[in-house]
Amino acid sequence: MSSHYEAPIRRPLIVGDKSYHDISVDVAAPVEGKANKLWWTAFSVALVAFLWGIGCIVYTIGTGIGVWGLNKTVGWAWDITNFVWWVGIGHAGTLISAVLLLFRQKWRMGINRSAEAMTIFSVIQAGLFPVIHMGRVWNAHFVLPLPNQFGTLWTNFNSPLLWDVFAISTYLSVSLVFWWTGLLPDFAMLRDRAIRPFQKKIYGLLSFGWTGRAKDWQRFEEVSLVLAGLATPLVLSVHTIVSFDFATSVIPGWHTTIFPPYFVAGAVFSGFAMVNTLLIIMRKVSNLEAYITKQHIELMNIVIMITGSIVGCAYITELFIAWYSGVEYEQYAFLNRATGPYWWAYLLMMSCNVFSPQFMWFKRLRTSITFSFIISIVVNIGMWFERFVIIVTSLHRDYLPSSWTMFSPTFVDIGIFIGTIGFFFVLFLLYARTFPVIAQAEVKSILKASGEKYKKLRDGNHE
Amino acid sequence: MASNKKYWKSVEELNKNSAIVDTLKQNEFPEEIPTDLFLGDKKTLEATSTTRRDFLKYVGFTTAAVTLASCEGPVVKSIPYIIKPNDIIPGVAEYYATTIADGFDFANVLVKVREGRPIKIEPNKDANGTTNARVQASVLSLYDSLRLKGPKANGAEISWNEADQQIIAKLNEVKASGLPIAVLTGTSASPSTKKLIAKFNETFENVAHVEYDAVSESATLDAFEEMYGSRALPDYHLEKAEVIVSIGADFLGSWQGGGFEAGYSKGRVPTSGKMSRHIQFESNMSLSGANADKRIMAKPSEQNQVLLNLYQAVVSGVVSSEATPLNVAVQKAAEQLKKAGSKAVVLTGIQDKNAQLLALAINKALNSEVLDVSATKNIRKGNDADVAQLIADMNEGKIGAVIIYNSNPVYTLPNSAAFVEGLKKVKLSVAFSMQDNETANAVQYSLATPHYLESWGDVEIKKGQYSLVQPTIKTLFNTRQFQDSLLAWTGSKATYYDFLKETWNTEILGDKSWNQALHDGVFAADAVQSEAISLEVDLETAAAQLAEVKGSDLELQLYVKIGLGDGQMANNPWLQEFPDPITRTSWDNYLTISKSDADALGAVNNHVANGALNGSMVELSINGVSEILPVLIQPGQAKGSLGLALGYGRTQGLKAEMQTGKNAYKFYKNFNNFQTGATLKLVGGEHEFACVQLQNTLMGRGDIIKETTLEVFNDASLDPKHTWNLIPVVSLDHEEVEASSVDLWDSFDRTIGHHFNLSIDLNACTGCGACVIACHAENNVPVVGKDEIRRSRDMHWLRIDRYYSHEEDFAGDNEVKENGKGAMGFKKAMDALEDPSENPSVAFQPVMCQHCNHAPCETVCPVAATSHGRQGQNQMAYNRCVGTRYCANNCPYKVRRFNWFEYPNNSKFDYNMNDDLGKMVLNPDVVVRSRGVMEKCSMCIQMTQATILKAKKEGRPINTNEFETACSNACTAGAMVFGDVNKPEDTVTGLAEDKRAYHLLEHIGTKPNVVYHVKVRNTQEA
Repeated sequence: MSSHYEAPIRRPLIVGDKSYHDISVDVAAPVEGKANKLWWTAFSVALVAFLWGIGCIVYTIGTGIGVWGLNKTVGWAWDITNFVWWVGIGHAGTLISAVLLLFRQKWRMGINRSAEAMTIFSVIQAGLFPVIHMGRVWNAHFVLPLPNQFGTLWTNFNSPLLWDVFAISTYLSVSLVFWWTGLLPDFAMLRDRAIRPFQKKIYGLLSFGWTGRAKDWQRFEEVSLVLAGLATPLVLSVHTIVSFDFATSVIPGWHTTIFPPYFVAGAVFSGFAMVNTLLIIMRKVSNLEAYITKQHIELMNIVIMITGSIVGCAYITELFIAWYSGVEYEQYAFLNRATGPYWWAYLLMMSCNVFSPQFMWFKRLRTSITFSFIISIVVNIGMWFERFVIIVTSLHRDYLPSSWTMFSPTFVDIGIFIGTIGFFFVLFLLYARTFPVIAQAEVKSILKASGEKYKKLRDGNHE
Repeated sequence: MASNKKYWKSVEELNKNSAIVDTLKQNEFPEEIPTDLFLGDKKTLEATSTTRRDFLKYVGFTTAAVTLASCEGPVVKSIPYIIKPNDIIPGVAEYYATTIADGFDFANVLVKVREGRPIKIEPNKDANGTTNARVQASVLSLYDSLRLKGPKANGAEISWNEADQQIIAKLNEVKASGLPIAVLTGTSASPSTKKLIAKFNETFENVAHVEYDAVSESATLDAFEEMYGSRALPDYHLEKAEVIVSIGADFLGSWQGGGFEAGYSKGRVPTSGKMSRHIQFESNMSLSGANADKRIMAKPSEQNQVLLNLYQAVVSGVVSSEATPLNVAVQKAAEQLKKAGSKAVVLTGIQDKNAQLLALAINKALNSEVLDVSATKNIRKGNDADVAQLIADMNEGKIGAVIIYNSNPVYTLPNSAAFVEGLKKVKLSVAFSMQDNETANAVQYSLATPHYLESWGDVEIKKGQYSLVQPTIKTLFNTRQFQDSLLAWTGSKATYYDFLKETWNTEILGDKSWNQALHDGVFAADAVQSEAISLEVDLETAAAQLAEVKGSDLELQLYVKIGLGDGQMANNPWLQEFPDPITRTSWDNYLTISKSDADALGAVNNHVANGALNGSMVELSINGVSEILPVLIQPGQAKGSLGLALGYGRTQGLKAEMQTGKNAYKFYKNFNNFQTGATLKLVGGEHEFACVQLQNTLMGRGDIIKETTLEVFNDASLDPKHTWNLIPVVSLDHEEVEASSVDLWDSFDRTIGHHFNLSIDLNACTGCGACVIACHAENNVPVVGKDEIRRSRDMHWLRIDRYYSHEEDFAGDNEVKENGKGAMGFKKAMDALEDPSENPSVAFQPVMCQHCNHAPCETVCPVAATSHGRQGQNQMAYNRCVGTRYCANNCPYKVRRFNWFEYPNNSKFDYNMNDDLGKMVLNPDVVVRSRGVMEKCSMCIQMTQATILKAKKEGRPINTNEFETACSNACTAGAMVFGDVNKPEDTVTGLAEDKRAYHLLEHIGTKPNVVYHVKVRNTQEA
C-alpha cells in the first residue's frame, strides 16, 4: 500500500498544492464545520420523503398487500424491482474497495469511503423490500433457519429467496466490517483533532482505540487485504443469487442462464452510476475537488461504459437466444417485452442503459462533469426500468393467455419507493456530516507519489 | 321454616321493666365504644403506620380490584351438545335429499348438513339430479341477512295471528263482494300446492290461479298444447341425438328450464368413433353456440327464416332459391337432419308459438327419438295471456284480492308500473316472499316465507317423477310457508306437512313407504302407458304467420345469464362474482354488440392501465322504452343484433354492492325475448367492467387446448404421426426424447397408497360453471367484489378459461402462428392473433391447481409452506405461509390466489363472510384464510381424507370411484372425473391413459396430476 513511483503520464490523483495537514483539514472540515442551508434543505426533503415512505409501509402492513397494484398474475412488481435496483446500486462500493484494492488501483482511495457508505445504505433499502413484500411480515422470522419446537419444520433450502436472505445478510455484514476497518484510522484522526470533549469521546469510541502504532498499521493492512479477499467473491455472488430468483424459475423471460453475469454487470453499472451521482455533488459541496478529481470521474465513466456495453450485449443475447431456442413461449415473451404494452419501458431501458453510456467513448464528454452527472442519473433510471421490464413484462403475459393482465402502481407503491430514496439520503447526508468521507489515511499514502505538487517537483521539466 | 322458639339470653329478661333489658334493646352496643381511647390519643394515632391517605389508597384499590374482578371478559359462546342428538355426530356431515323448485330452477339435490347447518348443495345422483351454478349457490341465499324476517303489513311488523285475522277478514269481504281472488304464483309444479289452491278455492270461491314465469316459455307450452294436448314442456334426450340443430335455443343455458347438459355431453364424447354434430343458428353468443360444431350467426328475425327454410327443406323438401350463405347453411343442416333421421332433433328458442309448432313438426317429420312427448316436464307453466289479462282486470277494478307467491312481478314484469297501479286498486294484496324485494314492498301484506331448505313441499318435475322437499334446518326467522298460510286461512288446523303426507299417501305413493320416499327425495310412479295424442295442426298457417314477422335494422335478443338467472338470487355474492362463461365478466349486465356495429356507432372497449376493461355507454331505445347501458363487444354476435341479460338491476332487498346492472325486463315486451326496432345512441362516459379474463384468444398456442376433428380422430391414416396429441420432445444427450421422461430428480415410488388424478374431458365440458360455485362453497373461497375483480384479483380456485379463435377455428390460429416467419412476421402474426374472429370457434378449459408432481411452486417457497403430499396433492400450509407470492409467480398455470386483504370480518368486503348469518355457510372442514397468505385448490383434501377415514372406520377398502372432489361431484356433464390412479377399477385410471389424455404445458416437465382430454370437433358436413 505504500507509495511508489508513478509514471509522469499518469494524471495526479490529488490536485493542487496539498500537504498531509491540508488533507486532514479538508477531510475533517465537513465534520468540524457547521451545516449550511443547502445541507439542511436537502436533509429536510429527504426526511419528509422518508417519513412518507414509513407512512406507506405502515399502511401496507396495517391493511394488506392489496394496497399495492399487484394482482393474481403479477405477484411482484415495484417491490422486487426496487429490491434488485438497490442491491445493484450496492455493488459499486465493494467492487471499488475490494476488487480495486486487490488490483492495486490507487484511484479507488479518493472514492471508496463514500462508495462503501452508499453500498451499506442501499443494501439497507434493498433489505427492506423482501421483508415488507411479505403478506405476513409478522412471521418474517420463518425465513430464518431458527430452531423450533415443530421438529422438522425448517426453511426450504431449495428456494432462491432463502439464498437471498443469506446472500444479502452476508454481504451487508462483510461490507460493514470492511467499511469500519477502513474508518478506524480516520476516526482516530477526527478524535485527535476534536476540541469538544463529547465529540472526542464519540470518535474515540468509534475508532476502537486506534493509536497509530506500527502494529496497528500492520494489522490494519492485513485485515484490509483479507477482507478484500473475502468481499471480492461476494461482489459476484450477491447479484448472482439475486438473479437466481428469476433464473431458476420456469417463467419465460426469467428462466435464462445468462442472468448471473448479466445481473452482476448491470449491478456494477448502476452502482458506479450512483457513485458518480453522489460524488459529483459531494466534491462540490464539501470542497473535495482536490481529492475526487476529473480523473476519478473519467475512470468511473469508463467502467460505466464497459459495463453498460456488457449489459447491452446481454440484452441482445437474450433476444437472440429467445429466437434461437425455437420455443414459442420464449419467443413471445421477448417479442412482448420489446413490442407489447410495456414497449415504452423496454425502450427506456434500452436507450438509458445501452445507448447513453456509448457517449463515454468521447473524451470530451466523459471528462465533462455536468454530462457525467446527467448520464449517471439516466443510467440509474434505465437500470430501474431494466428490473421492472424483467419482472413485470415476463409475468404479465406468461403461459396461459387467460391469465394475462397488466400492472399499474398505486400511490403506495410509489410512496414506498420514494421513501427508500428519502431514507437513503437521510443516511447519506448524516454520513457526509459526521464521517470522514475520504479515506484520508490512504490518500495520504499516495500524496508523494500521485500528488500534483510532488509530481511536478519530480517531473517538473515535463510541463 | 318459621319458628316460634324464643331463646333466652339471660334471667334478667324475666323481670319486666328491667332497665338493663331496655337499655340493651335500645343500644346496639351494651357498652359505650371507647372511640376516644383511639381518636383522642394523638400520640398513638400518629404512631400508626397507616396514614389516612394510605387508608384511602387501600380502600380505592380494593374497590377497584373488586369491580374489575366482577367484569366479564369477552365471552365467545359455543354451545356444546350436553345431550348429543342421536343422529348427529359433531364433525360428520349428514345428507338429506330434497328438491329445489324456486320457479326457475328445479332439481333433485342432496343437502350437506353439518351440526344442523346446511352448507352445501350436491346433485342427488340416485335421482338423476343435476345442479347448475345457481342451484349450487342457493344454499347461500338461505343465509341472506336481508331476508324478510317476519310478516309485515304496509311495511310495519305484525304478528302472524294479526295478519291472519286481518287477511281472512278481507278475504271474506272480497268473497262477499263477489270479486275474484287471484293467486299469482311462479311455476311450482307441486301437486300438493295445486290441491291446496283448489281447497282454497272451495273456501273462498272464485279463486283464479294464474301462473307466471319471469322468463316465459309460454309460446312453447301453447304450441305443445296445440299439438299434443297438454300444456307442458316436451323433454329431449340429447344423448340419443346424432345431429342437433338449434335455432336460438340456449339449451345448455336455461332454455325450457335447462338441465340438458348431461345428455348433451354424453353424446359429445366420441365413443366408438361417434359423437353428435351440433349446429347452432343464433344471434347472441350463447353457451350452446360456444359448444357447437358449427355456429351460424343469424339475427333474431333471420332465425325465423332459418326455421321456415329448414321446415320446408325437411318436411316438404322445398329448397330455397336464393343461395345466401345462410340458406346454404340451412340446406346443409337440413341434409344432415334428414340423413340422421330419427336420431336428429331441432330445438328452437324463438318465443313464438308458430315457430315452436314448426320445430315440433320438423321433429315429428323426422320421427325423432330425441324428442319425448310422453314424459313431459312441468317446470314451466306460466301463461302470458293470463298474466296480461290479470293486469288488465286489476286496473279495471275487477279483481278483489291478489295473492302473490314465489314471484316478483313488480321487478320482472315489463309493464311493472301498470301492475303496481293495479295493486292499488285491489282490496287485498298479499305477497309471500323470502326477500324484502320490490313486490314485497308494493303490497299491503308481505308475508315472510322460508327458504326451500327450511320448507316442506313436493314437486313433479317430470310427469310421474315426484320429488319431495324437506327442511334441513329449523326456520331461521319468523317465517311461515305459503301453503301453511293457505291452510290457516281455509280454517284448517293441519300443517302443510300433514297435508303433504296425506296427499302423498292417498294419491301418489300407493302402498309405498313415505319414509323411503323422503329418504330418497324422489318417487317414481308406475309409468302409465298413455299414448301421446297428436292433434292436427294447421302448420301452413303457422308457417305463413311466422314468415310475416318483420325484422328491423337493429334487433334485441334478451337472454338469461348462467349466474343470476331470472334475478331472484341477486343478493347472492357467489353468483354476482361468478364470471359469465362467455364474456367472463362478473357483477354486471351489458349490451353485447358485434364489432362492426360498435365501430359504426363509435362505441369502444378499451383497457385501462391495470388492464381492466372499460366500455362506452349507449342509450338503447325500443318503442319508447330506453335505458343507458354499457357496451361489450362480443365476438360472434350477429351483425344487427344486440344482447342484453335479464335478471340484473334489482334495487330492493339487496346490499348496495349487489345492486348491479340495469333492469332489462322493461324491454321484455309481450314476454318476447326478441324485440325489433332497437335504436342506439352513443352517450358520453365509460362503464367499468369486472372481467376475470382480459385476453380472449389462445394466441395460436394449440398445445394448451389440443383439438382435432372427428375424421382425424377416427381415421389414423389421415394423421399417421398422431400430431393431434403429440407429447412434446426435448433434447437429452442430443437425442429427442419425450419431455415427460426427463427428470432432474429421483422419483418417488408413487404406486403405493392412493394417488389422485383429476381428469377433465374438454369434449364433455360445456363451460357451465357449476363446478366453480361448488368449489366456492366447499372451500370457503372469499368473494372480493367488483373493484377487486377489476384489479385482476379474483379468488376462484377453479376457473373456466374461455378462448375465441382468431381464424374460423383454432387450427387456423396455429397456422397463422406457423406462417409468421422472421421477427416481423412473428410480430405481425402475434398482433393479429390478439383479436378474436367475428364468429370465432370457442373453447372452454377448466383450470385449477394442476397438482404437479414436480411443482415449480414447491421449490421456490422459502419457508416450505407448500409441499407435496404422499397422495399426489400439492398442499398449502396456510399457517406457515409468509406471503412472498413467489409460488404464484412461478406457477405456469397461474392458479394460486393471494389474500390481498383480510376478506372475512372486513366491512370493506361486505359479503357473506362479513355477517354472522352468512358465515353459517362456511365449511367447518376448511380453514378460512387470513390476509397475506396464498391459497389454491387442494384437490378437496378434506373430502378425500374423510372418504379414507370413513372406509377405515367401516373396516373396508375404498369403493370404486368413491373419491370425489367438489368440482367432480358438481359436474353434471361428466367432464370431471376424480379418483385414485393406483386403483385400476377407478374410472380415472383408464381416462388418464386414454389416447386423448394430455397434460397442460407438458413441455415444462411439471408432471401434473390433472389430465385433460383432447377436444374433438365433429366437422363432418355431410
